[in-house]
Amino acid sequence: MAAKTLAAPPAGLVRKTKRPRFGWWSRYRRNKLAVFGLGWVVLFFIIGVIGPWIAPHNYAYTNFLAANQPPSWQYPFGTDSVGHDMLSEILWSVQNALEIALGATFISFLVGAALGLWAGLKGGIADQIVMRLVDFMYAFPTYFLDLILVTTFGRGLAPIMFAIGITGWAGYARLIRGLTLRLREGEMVEAARALGSTQRHIMIAYLWPNVRNSMLVALAFGIPGDLTVMAGLSVVGMGLRPPLPSFGNMIAQAGTNVLGFPWLLYFPAGIFAITLLSFLFVAEGLQEALDPKGGR
Amino acid sequence: MNLALFIGKRLLTILITVVAILAISFIMMRFAPGGFFNSATIASGLGTLALQNPHLYQEYLQMFEKQYGLNQPLWRQTLTYVWHSLTFNFGTSFENPSVPIITQLKTALPISALLAGGSIVLALLIGIPLGVIAAVKRNTWIDSVLTTLSMTGQAIPSYVLGVIAVLLFGVWISGILPVNGWGTPADAVLPIVCLSAGNIGVITRYMRSSLVEGLRQEYIRTAEAKGIRYWHIIWRHGIRNSLTALITVVGPTFAFTVVGTVWVENIFSIPGLGTLLANAFTSDDIPLAITSVYILSLMVMLMNLIVDITYSLLDPRVKLR
Amino acid sequence: MSDPLLKVENLRVEFQRSDGIVYAVNDVSFSIAPGETVGVVGESGSGKSTALMALLGLLDANGRVTGGHAWFQGADLLKLNRHQLEDIRGRDIGVVFQDPMLGLNPTMRIGDQIMEGMLEHHYASMKQAFQRTLDLLAEVGIPDPPARFRNYPFEFSGGMRQRVMIAMAIACEPQLLIADEPTTALDVTVQMQILALLDKLRRERRMSIIMITHDLGVATNFCDRIIVMYGGKIMETAPLDEFLHNPAHPYTIALFGSMLEPDDSEDWELHPIPGTAEPLLEFPQACPFAPRCSMAQPRCQTEMPQLRLFENEHWIACHRAEEVMSRAG
Repeated sequence: MAAKTLAAPPAGLVRKTKRPRFGWWSRYRRNKLAVFGLGWVVLFFIIGVIGPWIAPHNYAYTNFLAANQPPSWQYPFGTDSVGHDMLSEILWSVQNALEIALGATFISFLVGAALGLWAGLKGGIADQIVMRLVDFMYAFPTYFLDLILVTTFGRGLAPIMFAIGITGWAGYARLIRGLTLRLREGEMVEAARALGSTQRHIMIAYLWPNVRNSMLVALAFGIPGDLTVMAGLSVVGMGLRPPLPSFGNMIAQAGTNVLGFPWLLYFPAGIFAITLLSFLFVAEGLQEALDPKGGR
Repeated sequence: MNLALFIGKRLLTILITVVAILAISFIMMRFAPGGFFNSATIASGLGTLALQNPHLYQEYLQMFEKQYGLNQPLWRQTLTYVWHSLTFNFGTSFENPSVPIITQLKTALPISALLAGGSIVLALLIGIPLGVIAAVKRNTWIDSVLTTLSMTGQAIPSYVLGVIAVLLFGVWISGILPVNGWGTPADAVLPIVCLSAGNIGVITRYMRSSLVEGLRQEYIRTAEAKGIRYWHIIWRHGIRNSLTALITVVGPTFAFTVVGTVWVENIFSIPGLGTLLANAFTSDDIPLAITSVYILSLMVMLMNLIVDITYSLLDPRVKLR
Repeated sequence: MSDPLLKVENLRVEFQRSDGIVYAVNDVSFSIAPGETVGVVGESGSGKSTALMALLGLLDANGRVTGGHAWFQGADLLKLNRHQLEDIRGRDIGVVFQDPMLGLNPTMRIGDQIMEGMLEHHYASMKQAFQRTLDLLAEVGIPDPPARFRNYPFEFSGGMRQRVMIAMAIACEPQLLIADEPTTALDVTVQMQILALLDKLRRERRMSIIMITHDLGVATNFCDRIIVMYGGKIMETAPLDEFLHNPAHPYTIALFGSMLEPDDSEDWELHPIPGTAEPLLEFPQACPFAPRCSMAQPRCQTEMPQLRLFENEHWIACHRAEEVMSRAG
């Protein structure tokens, strides 16, 4: 046959380290949706930082005389039933959303990394226990655990961040256990050891890029997931306690008022949806760019 | 391993899981700020009743104390609660003490099950053909449109789709489909559609990648060499294999589908388990809250068990573990 | 010679790749008579499989036939549409592939896979096809056909699977069987069994076989006539006797030289061919083997040698064929 391909090198690790440093960007750039998503995500982060400063009003500011106003020059996104300026609400919400999503993802990652490392390095019963737990957390709707935790610990930023974080580690634990096992038993390690390199050298030269890429992709997928859950808590009335502004609250509230005041929906739901999509596009783009073997 | 033993083992796992969830929830709620299960909270919940009908009030108070064993040590209380829940003796809720929880479940559960089941069926009916089309037309514009749509369906949660649907069918083109309440079959249409979008995305993308991979296999060429017609090959040697493994993708979506049901019910004001759950949590009606979490979780776990059994029956290579 | 069963004229196949066009098969012509067994020998990348797969419309998506004819039963295979080709494949021309581990659908019962072709071609009714499948399994040497019918491929060894592949290929009694490296993926002892099976089948059924192989030993043990291909072109073709006694192309001689001699005679030296066969990214204007040829002259680098007919139906495409022959003789 023509076009017979050579067998890939073991675990495909060697090639990765030899790529030019910014090779991933040239591949990433080809995916236009991922580039758009990255732009939006960057904007979202910037607003997350400066949002409260550029907001015309404090999130708690209410003006009952200007309740239920459609969008205008004074209130570009309109106002809600108690006269909150929707633009200000959204600018503040971005910060809350990012704090909770990033915090929760970080907690999940820490817990998952700890359990995954433990399982991967120790093996045996430790591995059994962790993997059983992981299987359970996968099949179980952890959202309900979030509800119970939030009921117990309150509906502030920290409890919600903690609740989502502490229930969302299963994927990271599985990933990191897998990576650990591959590091331990990987052929590349064997090869490098046979050549007389030190352990440290092995870790850094061959394995780190691969591990880093996998974790980066997992984290990129984790953030939109946590945002979804966070707003989902508000849908059943268990999200951030008003008047703390959040996308979930705005969307849930708009859901009940949409027939009379549809603008309450356009901006929060639209921006939230585009944000989730953008995070997903970025995650998919990263997966494609960093790990050509996975994804499509 | 034979099937009966496998099912027995899985049921045992589910039982242990359920006991753990019930016990943990109970203890957490018991110690939550405000102390839900102590007599004072119950008394405050029944406060108005105390004024209107002191006799009935005392009766309810005794009933709750008996149901939850409030005068006993915590471990006894926990065991009592777990045992009662396992035997479907849920007692009554704080909010609505005259109606046993089991009665409320009996009307709410079928609604939620219908929504969840309907959305999965719809997702399969739409997702599988879309995935096949994307795979057959791979690397064309049709493929990229379908892939982008699938990603959108996956990314946007059902509650956002729900409010958009309410806006669309409630305001812009109102009168075609109901956007609120429950009663006629038409009421189920929008909730099920919103609920299935995520799964359609998952299934479409899975079917596409699985079929593209499958059609790359050597045995496809063998079938071609036998002179099998193109679409027969796609069906017999491509789709059929992909379908078997599709079950492993549908299983993990159950958890999210059931959570989505909770959301969608709240958006469309549907009196299912999700609305029950939301009301219970927002009004600190803890017996009802834990019970609805318990029932919904049980639903997910049983659906997963059914999937695993089906899978082992369909794929000869899968050995039950 | 009687009318050929298959007559291929000036076949050309190209592959579109990201780095350009690969000229995989260039002006290949040959024919095969009813009941004849022809071995097509060459290294991987020589275009030997590609040429045959092109006839059946089984090229990868980026490959296409850019010229030639392939006359079979009065029709030009290269001009047929998809449906017409599907009718011929499996019914009139059967194919056995290299890797029986991957060539069978792992989720389908063996018997169903054998029956599939017969049913698709309306060659037999359900009942007949079932009975015939049992007969076929017995014929290719699989014990206990009724039980094995219901087995899945993973329950078979490699050699057994190749027997199943052969049963599938001959199910509709094709006049021509294309065997694409049928023994390459198998253990040496099993290779012999499979070759013996193919030999038995061709004699019992008077079926023509085209055996594609990189193994000169397999080809010379099994075939009536040998075609040697390199760089998408036929280098040499001759009946077996003539081929064995007067190999006259430097590439053929190099192939013999690179063979491990089974009887381990003392004066035998292993001579691997230097270099590797590279895919042709330009249409060949000169002898494709010249870069690796020990006898290459300046002329070989600039002028394409044409196939020339020598004695005993011996065709050679080499400018220096006469010298090679006289030297060897």
